[in-house]
Amino acid sequence: MSVYTAEQKHKGPILSKSRREKTVSILCLILLIVLALIVMFPIYWIFRSSLMSNGELYAYPPAFTPPAWRFENYPETLKSFEYLKFLGNTMTILIPAVLGAVVTATMGGYAFARLRFRGKKFLFTLCVGSMLLPSMVTLIPIFFAWSKLGLVNTYWPLILPHFCGGGAFNIFLIRQFVKTVPRELDEAATIDGCGYFRILIFIIVPAIKSAMIVVGLLKFIELWNDLLQQVTYITRRDRYTLALGLNIFRGSFNDDWSSIMCATCLSFIPGIVFYLIGQKYFVEGIVMTGMKN
Amino acid sequence: MTVLTKKHMIRYNRGETRAAWICLLPSVIGLVCITYIPMIASFTLSLFNWNGLGEMKYIGLDNYIRLFTRDTKFYGSLLTTLEYACLSVIGSIIYSMIIAMLLNRKVPARGFFRAVFYLPYVLPVLAVYLGWKWLFDYNHGLFNYLIKLNGGTSVKFLDSSTMVTPSLALIAVWLSGNLIVIFLAGLQNVPRTYHEAAEIDGANAWHRFWKITIPCMTPIIFYNLLMSLVTNLQVITPALSLTQGGPGTGSYFMCYMLYTQAFKSHKYGYGSAIAVILFLIIAVFTGILFATSKGWIFYEGDEKE
Amino acid sequence: MKKLLAIVLCLALMLPVIALAEGDGRVHITYSFWGDQTEFESVQKVLDEYNQMQDKVFVEPMQIPNEQYTETLVNYAIADQLPDCGMVNENSVLFFARNGVMADVSDMYAGEELQPMDCITFKDDGTPVGYSSCNEILIMYYNKDMFDAAGEPYPSADKPYTWDEFVEVAKRLTFDEAGKHPGEDGFNPEKIVQYGAFVNNWTWQMEVWALSNGGAWFSDDGKQCLINSPEAIESIQKVADLALVEHVAPLNVIPEDNGVGVGIGSKTVAMTTDGTWRLGTDFPNLDINYGIAPLPMMKENVTLCTSGLTGVFKGKHQQEAYDFVKWYTREESNWESLVLTGIWLPKSEYFYKTEEGISKWLGNEKYPYNKDMETGKKVLVEYTMNNAKPACWYYTPNTQITTNEILFTALQSVWSGERTAEDVINEIYPDLCEAILID
Repeated sequence: MSVYTAEQKHKGPILSKSRREKTVSILCLILLIVLALIVMFPIYWIFRSSLMSNGELYAYPPAFTPPAWRFENYPETLKSFEYLKFLGNTMTILIPAVLGAVVTATMGGYAFARLRFRGKKFLFTLCVGSMLLPSMVTLIPIFFAWSKLGLVNTYWPLILPHFCGGGAFNIFLIRQFVKTVPRELDEAATIDGCGYFRILIFIIVPAIKSAMIVVGLLKFIELWNDLLQQVTYITRRDRYTLALGLNIFRGSFNDDWSSIMCATCLSFIPGIVFYLIGQKYFVEGIVMTGMKN
Repeated sequence: MTVLTKKHMIRYNRGETRAAWICLLPSVIGLVCITYIPMIASFTLSLFNWNGLGEMKYIGLDNYIRLFTRDTKFYGSLLTTLEYACLSVIGSIIYSMIIAMLLNRKVPARGFFRAVFYLPYVLPVLAVYLGWKWLFDYNHGLFNYLIKLNGGTSVKFLDSSTMVTPSLALIAVWLSGNLIVIFLAGLQNVPRTYHEAAEIDGANAWHRFWKITIPCMTPIIFYNLLMSLVTNLQVITPALSLTQGGPGTGSYFMCYMLYTQAFKSHKYGYGSAIAVILFLIIAVFTGILFATSKGWIFYEGDEKE
Repeated sequence: MKKLLAIVLCLALMLPVIALAEGDGRVHITYSFWGDQTEFESVQKVLDEYNQMQDKVFVEPMQIPNEQYTETLVNYAIADQLPDCGMVNENSVLFFARNGVMADVSDMYAGEELQPMDCITFKDDGTPVGYSSCNEILIMYYNKDMFDAAGEPYPSADKPYTWDEFVEVAKRLTFDEAGKHPGEDGFNPEKIVQYGAFVNNWTWQMEVWALSNGGAWFSDDGKQCLINSPEAIESIQKVADLALVEHVAPLNVIPEDNGVGVGIGSKTVAMTTDGTWRLGTDFPNLDINYGIAPLPMMKENVTLCTSGLTGVFKGKHQQEAYDFVKWYTREESNWESLVLTGIWLPKSEYFYKTEEGISKWLGNEKYPYNKDMETGKKVLVEYTMNNAKPACWYYTPNTQITTNEILFTALQSVWSGERTAEDVINEIYPDLCEAILID
């Protein structure tokens, strides 16, 4: 920004450039607002649906605003939707899985990006190759294996797999970000006598903190929505997660749409909260990375 | 130790190797047990006929022959999947790049906007599709209501086998908040010094975008492209929750075909064969991406290999 | 440190699983079912009753989401962890039976006073392998207010419309914004305000129209596919044309299990065909002055009967499960929660053939359609006794493939008008024939 003011003082024609800059800024802002409204609209639609009764939902033409703002739908829904219990169950799975994924992905990404060892190319190809596998394919054999171990109705099949690098995507992402950290820092630390793990913990991790948080977020969302695995391994109602809980409103004869929409809105909340919290560290991480250069 | 001559490159540092293996041990265990062994099991299963409860009967390549010659839905499924993947990947990358660029500027309430665009990704995906159904519905949907208000004829968004894939791809673009986040992180990583130096040299914004921003972003673009492509080739949720593969084979994606054949029609061997073919398609696309990647990616902190 | 804490937490959560083992000396069996919250509560109530009335067996519920129900059961079967008993989707009954997963129940009702009707008995090549928990038939619902507004007499309770009459009445009940009916000058199919009829095209229900037109989908022994007969094809096209040609029905390209919701329940449709369970699940919550009538007939007066089955799976506690299922499927056990609410029609002949039996449910003041017993008798009792034929899954194997997979996808092009029924049926005919032969 100081570059512009310096130019402004010494070169006349630059005045129009800064006005152009301002117009571009305003246009960008308007564009952002319009896009944001469009993006938010379906969410608003879900929210509006949660405040209507089933009969009102099926009426035509569709009402833009709920005819009667039925906030009582929420306590109604909460009577059958054991929100806190489902949330607790979901967190019991997610928190260890996300932590495990972040830690092992960072270790793996660091190894691939920085360390030299025999078989690295081969291992990396194997790793990338595993990204290509549709997860459907391995569903039955893995389920079979877990059932032989007697762990089918527990949370272990949903937690443990994420301690194995958190998926090739995340190892790859960390690897890409570690590669953006200049090697000179490593070399300086080595001269100071740091071993590989100290480099990892004290140099690499602070540098790519934003990427690690992104990995955590991505893992969180992936598991949050991973209906298929949850349905396969959780069948008892008291062990349901939030995503599964939405299904209890889909009856054998009918779908109770307004309750589904209410439960949906309630399910948004943890995800949003987690994102807002994570976003704070995310911003800090990015700022720190920027300052380094 | 830090400077290796060509001769020394063959000899690996034992401490480094040990550190690497410790770091990679959990991932290796996962790769073997959760990915490769089950994958081999599935390959094997594709050579059998199994309904889950009865016996497994060996039939060799029969499943594959049947897929390519007698299955009326296979080619439709293939085309639909490719169409969806192309539309959603290209759409998502362009959309998220634009949003990321907009959000990278000093706009007021940046945090709020960031939250807004990321929000779709955070929502329970089942709910998202159900919500959009109410927008796309032919009889009661909002979009058609607005179209009819303006004197147009209703559009069969989800009820026409040609319109359904683009409509679903639109939802995918809407959902691509995760790409925005990654692009943003990448944009922030582009050193300001490059931009400042170029400005002094008289480069305008457009020039700077193409000559500095994009090249520095290439590793991130590559990652997003790869991840997006692989994920979208494996699309199944909209078919499961919204369209059930219809109309006709309009949204009969390969993963959905796999799922219905294996789990609903109890043909596990046949489903595994579809999975193998899908895997090969993804492998081909990934191979192409990686092979051409050296030509256009620029790594800043990379070693001279 | 946090990770350690989390692991400890997980382990702690697992303790109840280990602790829950049979510590009270009773045999624990599981009963699996699908349904929403209301159904869960009513099932739980019935299970509680059973658990309290004896102390040898304790039944635990296992609620599985509807969309994944059969797959989940098959997954459990593969892992040797099937529940002891549970609901089984109609279209998978023969599949499970043929693969030796179900226990033999052929003499469950031997010598019993209440015999289940023959039309709701599942037969694998003639041998009974299971009985539906209840009876359901397809009937027509109509909106009395819409009929009054148009000056139309209500449909008769024992003399069904012919198809042509049905279409004519539907036309008189369909109008656009300008009040014009189909066929009149200036009628705008884009701006229809009220539709006359919605014939539910949820795939399995389409079979009734083939029967109505003098054809069939499968032969009685379940070994031949007859859907390519001109009568069967014509019946499908006629239903599709209600929306595409006659403009009396809303377009419904991807059918769902929601005939009433799309039809009469949306308050824009005058007549709808759907199952009798809607009397209990939908209409009490819809504020509509409705009536019931038999289905319109093309050439034959026929309806379809169906219902899910409560099955006993082979396993360690087979005998206990058998006893429980026998108790559970008596109308008495679910009298208040399912029969009187209108969700179940009784399954035993006694409730249809004897005056005493009929008045127990139809005559009960809680029953949703007791206000008009004459109509109820004709449409629910006599219609079942005289005109109901079993749906194809009672005697044809692999209906989950033929109906849910092949027909469901293929017919969508017919509903949207992109292709004719004849083209589509002839194209998928070989697949259908092959499907019913697979083991």
